[in-house]
Amino acid sequence: MTTEILLFKNINILPELFLGISLLYLVLYGTFLSMNKNFPLIVNSCVFLGILILLMTSFLLVNDSLDVLESTILNNTINNDFLSLTSKLIISITSSFCLLMMYTHLNHQKINQFEYILLFLFSILGLFLLCSSNDLLTSYLAIELQSLSFYVLASFKKNSTFSVDAGIKYFILGAFASSLFLFGSSLIYGVTGTINFSDFKDLFFWIFPGSILGLSNLEQYYENQDQDILLLALLEKFSNSQDKLLSQYDGDVLRYEIDNTKLYENSVYNYEKIYIYSLITSTVIDSMHSILTTSNNQSSLTYEQLYYLGEWLYFLQFSGDTMIYHLLNSYYLVCDNTNDFIEKGTFDEKNRFELTRWFFGSFSFLIAGCVKQNDFQDLHVLESSLDTNLLQIGLTFILISLFFKLAIAPFHIWSPDVYEGSPTSSTFFFAIVPKLGLFVLLIRIFYGSFYGLIDNWRYLCVLVAIVSIIVGSFGGLEQRKLKTLLAYSSISHMGYSLIAFNSGTFEGIQMLLSYLIVYVFSGLCIWSIFIIARLKNNHSLLKHNKDLTDLVLLNKTNKMLALFFTISLFSVAGFPPMIGFLVKVGIFLTAIESSMYFLALISILCSVVATFYYIRIIKIMYFEKVIVGKLYYPITSNKGIIISLLFISLIFLFINPTLIILITHKLSLLILN
Amino acid sequence: MIINFLFYFFSFILILSSLMVIVVQNAVHSVLFLVLSFISSASLLFLLECEFVALLFIMIYVGAIAVLFLFVVMMLDVKTLTVKKDILKYFPFGSFIGIIFLTEIFLVVSDTFKTNPYIGSSLFNYYTNWLDKVDSLTELESIGQLLYTHYVLQFLIAGNILLLSVIGAVSLTINTSHTAKKQIIFKQLSRTYKNVLIV
Repeated sequence: MTTEILLFKNINILPELFLGISLLYLVLYGTFLSMNKNFPLIVNSCVFLGILILLMTSFLLVNDSLDVLESTILNNTINNDFLSLTSKLIISITSSFCLLMMYTHLNHQKINQFEYILLFLFSILGLFLLCSSNDLLTSYLAIELQSLSFYVLASFKKNSTFSVDAGIKYFILGAFASSLFLFGSSLIYGVTGTINFSDFKDLFFWIFPGSILGLSNLEQYYENQDQDILLLALLEKFSNSQDKLLSQYDGDVLRYEIDNTKLYENSVYNYEKIYIYSLITSTVIDSMHSILTTSNNQSSLTYEQLYYLGEWLYFLQFSGDTMIYHLLNSYYLVCDNTNDFIEKGTFDEKNRFELTRWFFGSFSFLIAGCVKQNDFQDLHVLESSLDTNLLQIGLTFILISLFFKLAIAPFHIWSPDVYEGSPTSSTFFFAIVPKLGLFVLLIRIFYGSFYGLIDNWRYLCVLVAIVSIIVGSFGGLEQRKLKTLLAYSSISHMGYSLIAFNSGTFEGIQMLLSYLIVYVFSGLCIWSIFIIARLKNNHSLLKHNKDLTDLVLLNKTNKMLALFFTISLFSVAGFPPMIGFLVKVGIFLTAIESSMYFLALISILCSVVATFYYIRIIKIMYFEKVIVGKLYYPITSNKGIIISLLFISLIFLFINPTLIILITHKLSLLILN
Repeated sequence: MIINFLFYFFSFILILSSLMVIVVQNAVHSVLFLVLSFISSASLLFLLECEFVALLFIMIYVGAIAVLFLFVVMMLDVKTLTVKKDILKYFPFGSFIGIIFLTEIFLVVSDTFKTNPYIGSSLFNYYTNWLDKVDSLTELESIGQLLYTHYVLQFLIAGNILLLSVIGAVSLTINTSHTAKKQIIFKQLSRTYKNVLIV
């Protein structure tokens, strides 16, 4: 592999480079202007600069021509395929919406520091790198970049105890999750010797494809593969092929193996090799047996084949393998008519050929019987050659750390507290945007590279999905704060996405991505309404923790806002005339199609339960008879336009879901490159 | 020749200083001997041409951890006690544990390191490090060359993370308003168990 440095061919990461460099300029801008005493509201100009930077980045992303350039660049560490491009585009557009929505809120919260926007952009840079990372190191660094800025964003309101509390909680649990990720990656590196996702794919998708040995092309293995794999290939060929005979080429390979094997005492590697040899021998003998029984003619074996097999058995005789001795002994005990021969001779150079003939004349019958008795069909050949247990532990650690970051149920305890305590503008951001990037990483790791081991990681995912849906649905019932309720809602939504994630099909990926996109847009709608509906209350100017009862007079003060809030809540709950219904049905259908009936049943029932707390908000807004309540300030027209756009998209996508379905279809087909 | 001499010299210092760490009465002196043992082990690594690991040793253990120890020990103001009469009391048990560990180490070493089975036969080949004779690139150089070419993007991201942490720390600790939460030592010291709200 030639080393590559930052050259013009790596222009694919131009959006990230642009974002990073403009970040540095923003640092300079903010530093010089914040020293000027006459500039009162620096955060306003920084917000608009941030929006400008994000829009220019998305312009660069749109103009990225993937057809011309290579998708993997910088020594395979960055993979700029269609998936990363689309998710980056969605992330940048969504976060520019976030910035646009939050800037008056920042003014009212008296957050007047340019660092806020800077941290925001840093986390977006981290998400960009996360979407396109193609090895464990880059993805770890991207996660760190993203979550470090989140910790600071959570604790940014320094005069609030809740905010500081949330920041510390987020920091400790996030650091814990990152350390789990590192531990899992180090285990995986220890087992495989690589950290690159493409190499994982080569290893576990093509060479060791899980429990199945897809060895159609033996020539390839003969030429350039490891010896163990070669032996496995031979074994597979013997047990599968029609004629069940050794060719000249196979024999040469075997002979080469025998000549090159040196035996040391107590060597585990060697023991494994002998084990594989013995497996091959028994399979060969089995095939010989079948030939002999069918044709009853010993001369159907050629001289060369017999020669190689004799060589083989000669080797095994001196290998000191206990299993072979066991087989031999069992044979000796049974076979009476050859007793005299055994008494006479040993296996030495002279009578090797005769021995070979003798072996295949009668020995094969009995060995075949032994093989049948020991049930050799269930031999775990892979486990003897590649230790997947350690790999599974590493993968489980990575899964758990990413679940921590995504706040999926057994690892969700931090999320309601942190969402409640942090400033609303920060919560707005990290409730919506990072989920997409983290799921892209999950897809890259578990679909792109470890798809061969799907049977192993799927169990954990299914369990976690069930727990997450149950916790998200039942935990939200008790909540009286809107932010906590939305946190529980996001937990259950992550559970639904996880159902689609562990279906293991292209439709599952498609549904996962479309669900996430819809989640992002409807979440954007809900949180925008939440953040711009400002209470007319002098005392709680700085406090923005809305109770559910604060929404009582929203319908009276701002009818359209209440209507939009209702409709987007319906969409999140999964009611028919909105896009939320279609994607949720799609998720249930994928679960049923991949035979996860129990999971589908539980998630449908919990979805009904979760509808309760969405509808309760609507009931509070429309059907409460109150005399005293809090009124709301009117909203500005540009925010009204954005809210209307988001709202219309929710209904328009239901009428014409082709847009989202087509994009996600293309994404799902291009995942494996 | 001189390398051998230096090796024995530093090993001697290492053993002596690590012995002094546990023998010496004053805690500050003990930490200083710990620093000395770190430095001598780092120089041993230098002699073995593991420059990067040696520098990491000095940077992390001496620069960060040992200095932290030193600060803590100096702040705690530990009284020096005379433990001479206890030495005889703990000697049997201590020597017992020491002998057990010694035998374990011997067993592990004798199990792990083996003589070459091919010694004396024609298959035996002598080890010659041809790379040393042809091309001598030190460890630091090779790591640096890899870091600035192969892992340039990761290096940039790490730089960004450092910048982010600086900005985050500054923005969290800078005092712009008087309402920000900060430590009031008097309040903290006068806090007792009874007047704390327990949730």
